[in-house]
Amino acid sequence: MSSTTAALTPNLFNNNNHPCNRRWRQISLPHSTPPAANGGRRSFLTRAAASPTGKEKKKKKNQNKETEIEETEEKLVPLDDGEITSSVEAIKSRLDEVNPVGLGRKSRQIFDEVWRKFSGLGQISRTTRTDDDEAALLIREGGPMCEFAVPGAQNTTVLVVGATSRVGRIVVRKLMLRGYTVKALVRNTDKEVVDMLPTSVEVVTGDVGEPSTLKTAIEGCNKIIYCATARSSITGDLNRVDNLGVYNLTKAFQDYNNKLAQLRAGKSSKSKLLIAKFKSEDSLNGWEVRQGTYFQDVVAAKYDGGMDAKFEFTEEGNAVFSGYVFTRGGFIDLSKKLSLPLGCTLDRYEGLVFSVGGNGRSYVIILEAGPLADTSQSKMYFARISTKVGFCRVRVPFSTFRPVTPEDPPLDPFLVHTLTVRFEPRRQRPTDRPVGAKQDLRSFQLIFEYIKALPTGQETDFILVSCTGSGIEPGRREQVLKAKKAGEDTLRRSGLGYTIIRPGPLVEEPGGQRALIFDQGNRISQGISCADVADICVKALHDSTARNKSFDVCYEYVAEPGKELYELVAHLPDKANNYLTPALSVLEKNT
Amino acid sequence: MACTFHARLSAPLKPNLYSQTSLCWRRALIADAIASTCSTTQGRGNAAILTCNAQAAPAAVNLAPGTPVRPTSILVVGATGTLGRQVVRRALDEGYDVRCLVRARPAPADFLRDWGATVVNADLSKPETIPATLVGIHTVIDCATGRPEEPIKTVDWEGKVALIQCAKAMGIQKYVFFSIHNCDKHPEVPLMEIKYCTEKFLRDSGLNHVTIRLCGFMQGLIGQYAVPILEEKSVWGTDAPTRIAYMDTQDIARLTFIALRNENINGKLLTFAGPRAWTTQEVITLCERLAGQDANVTTVPVSILRFTRQLTRLFEWTSDVADRLAFSEVLSSDTVFSVPMSDTYTLLGVDPKEVSSLEKYLQDYFANILKKLKDLKAQSKQSDIYF
Repeated sequence: MSSTTAALTPNLFNNNNHPCNRRWRQISLPHSTPPAANGGRRSFLTRAAASPTGKEKKKKKNQNKETEIEETEEKLVPLDDGEITSSVEAIKSRLDEVNPVGLGRKSRQIFDEVWRKFSGLGQISRTTRTDDDEAALLIREGGPMCEFAVPGAQNTTVLVVGATSRVGRIVVRKLMLRGYTVKALVRNTDKEVVDMLPTSVEVVTGDVGEPSTLKTAIEGCNKIIYCATARSSITGDLNRVDNLGVYNLTKAFQDYNNKLAQLRAGKSSKSKLLIAKFKSEDSLNGWEVRQGTYFQDVVAAKYDGGMDAKFEFTEEGNAVFSGYVFTRGGFIDLSKKLSLPLGCTLDRYEGLVFSVGGNGRSYVIILEAGPLADTSQSKMYFARISTKVGFCRVRVPFSTFRPVTPEDPPLDPFLVHTLTVRFEPRRQRPTDRPVGAKQDLRSFQLIFEYIKALPTGQETDFILVSCTGSGIEPGRREQVLKAKKAGEDTLRRSGLGYTIIRPGPLVEEPGGQRALIFDQGNRISQGISCADVADICVKALHDSTARNKSFDVCYEYVAEPGKELYELVAHLPDKANNYLTPALSVLEKNT
Repeated sequence: MACTFHARLSAPLKPNLYSQTSLCWRRALIADAIASTCSTTQGRGNAAILTCNAQAAPAAVNLAPGTPVRPTSILVVGATGTLGRQVVRRALDEGYDVRCLVRARPAPADFLRDWGATVVNADLSKPETIPATLVGIHTVIDCATGRPEEPIKTVDWEGKVALIQCAKAMGIQKYVFFSIHNCDKHPEVPLMEIKYCTEKFLRDSGLNHVTIRLCGFMQGLIGQYAVPILEEKSVWGTDAPTRIAYMDTQDIARLTFIALRNENINGKLLTFAGPRAWTTQEVITLCERLAGQDANVTTVPVSILRFTRQLTRLFEWTSDVADRLAFSEVLSSDTVFSVPMSDTYTLLGVDPKEVSSLEKYLQDYFANILKKLKDLKAQSKQSDIYF
């Protein structure tokens, strides 16, 4: 009996002297730790260990060298440094061959191994494990064979805000199972709070209402899942958590991204691409001012005031594009052939940002796209922007550009070669001005500061769990919804890739049981399990269709008669198939 | 008295089982004590529980009903085992709050806590440690089996009896028990006999339960065959014609939770088997093929195993060894550990294609491990430069 149990301890990976074994050990596996004392094993092991050491003590004088080697080996093995260990082992095994103690030990180990295998045959196959190889097995089971593992999870750090909430708790667990690095933002690190979280989660103390505390929390994070909500219905609380919290966090995250971009000297995937910067006379080179009309009205042209415009560098150091258009159907273009830095193409970017000042007119941005060699094949795409009085930054996503000829394919940013800013007096809206100040909508002034391209992201950066408002008692609902809505808007404006999930009333039950409905426009009426919401959050992290989308989600239901006009998308969550992509691909972006 | 008792129970956990606990304590335990088939240690267990409850019942009536137990709270017994850990993972992923009953060990099972489960220390062989772990639990999933080196009776029988009685007494609403396929046909194997008796005991206890009989785990084959083949060590196999339908523990865990939530399966006996039954020789051949190297196979005739068992049975001090070799009796018979699964699949509403086969499983394993070995070799080559 005792011999068998002892045999289990120098386990699979741990036979220092076994000749066949040495090769394997060099390659990898976990080094030995002293066998864990375990019930019946202990007595025999101590005895077994005692006898050789006793003999060694006697021999110590003449065999000083061997004990020394033995000691060094013991120190070295934990390092698991392939080369040293094997060379020392080689010496040691040579010594062992002539050493009766070594021979005895070896023969016993061989016998133990044989007996272990023999007795294993007679057993119902169950896996026997000691604590030693636990780690190795975990690595193996957690490897690609593990059904939960997600590609890309290893390099992703997710900050979970509201990690102790009903959804947050499950989100954290799911992330851990999939191999993400998780940071959890908590307000206080009390024991009961920390006990709710998995031990390997990095707990950071902070409050979403306190911007200063978020700076450290956000460090090193790639993505944020925000499932915090106010515990009370006091307006102050609601505003602080659901609105200001989102604002502070998006700001902290953007600041962090900017810092990264700066650190990498504009080479980071997060940094914008400078297309034009207007800070000297030279920077105006290449820009052309042109005039034109949409139709030729010969008679009218004789009587109107015509049009004029110039693009000049003023003495104050501003690049000003100004002029007037009195002609009916007239317009003025300011355009330039784009020359991008080598190796840069606009397809890595998702839009343009203009930093401009002026008198608040609206303009049309026109992009010409097509093969550079043959400009006659170029196609025109346009998008309308409006500016404010004074300086402002205007973002124009490439997705908002429409082809001038409707049958042309959608804009491919890769092919863009010319940028045009057009002013036309049509569809101008008077700006807010002090009463009495007269404005002529046909004149314009636009001061350019810079034009940059916004970097694109395939994935969402910030997932916000909001709510639909159903299931909240009527007295509170309006307040809550107002705060949530404000938070959602803040996120949409932040420039981060966002996913806003508005689940129906949350139910605490296991997920993956019922089909889900994804919808937009506040029509859903059912509840949803917290686990399903958590699953959507985790799935959305790496799903490009989830980027910049807001959607409602709830359990499947049969629509009331008369209301079934809407096409709703239902999907049964399943671990094997990805239900999120098809469900979300039909939903609108940027709503 | 009642208050102090409850306070003690609920101190480390959430106090939300007041009503069920206190009302049915005494009645259930006494009834069980009479009805039960096991006598000695169970008496000890009862005594321990009863002493702290002697005056509990009258006072308990006054207690207002506490928070209802959430259906998502489950207790996994044997969570560190091959099957147990997959059950825990699956449960966590499906959004359950998982509590794991593990023995206090010098090296605690940290991986469970890393995944987000709560770990409570208790020992089935010490019945007085059990009740506290069941507070606030809706479902118990029992995948515990004693370690091979410890006497089979303490955990697998006495411990289980104590656990079932406790579960009954504390109003646990569902109990899932994992047993072994064919355990009713082989009373000569102690573990199988005990499993069979536990099945019966569970049925008689009146608990709402599901019993799941299993054939074999694919994960077990890794340590038994795959690793030795890769390490170029000798692989031991028998020439037994016994076939086992190995199943992936991840599939078992998945199906278990489907069965658990299906109210039609209450009180039923399910058997989970893999898609195909394999003999030892077939498994070794498959591993050799996938590893791309020949195994050093030592085939032991079953007759020798049986002989050893007979021999070790003669002496009292080797009776443990004899117990452990008992499976050789089963091996020498022509048993097939497999069942047709189509009925189970329809009952559970599962697509048979989603259950992984042994070929696929081992293929993934070897592809993965060979790639890792390659990487490690490349790394060790780099380090050569320094010496």
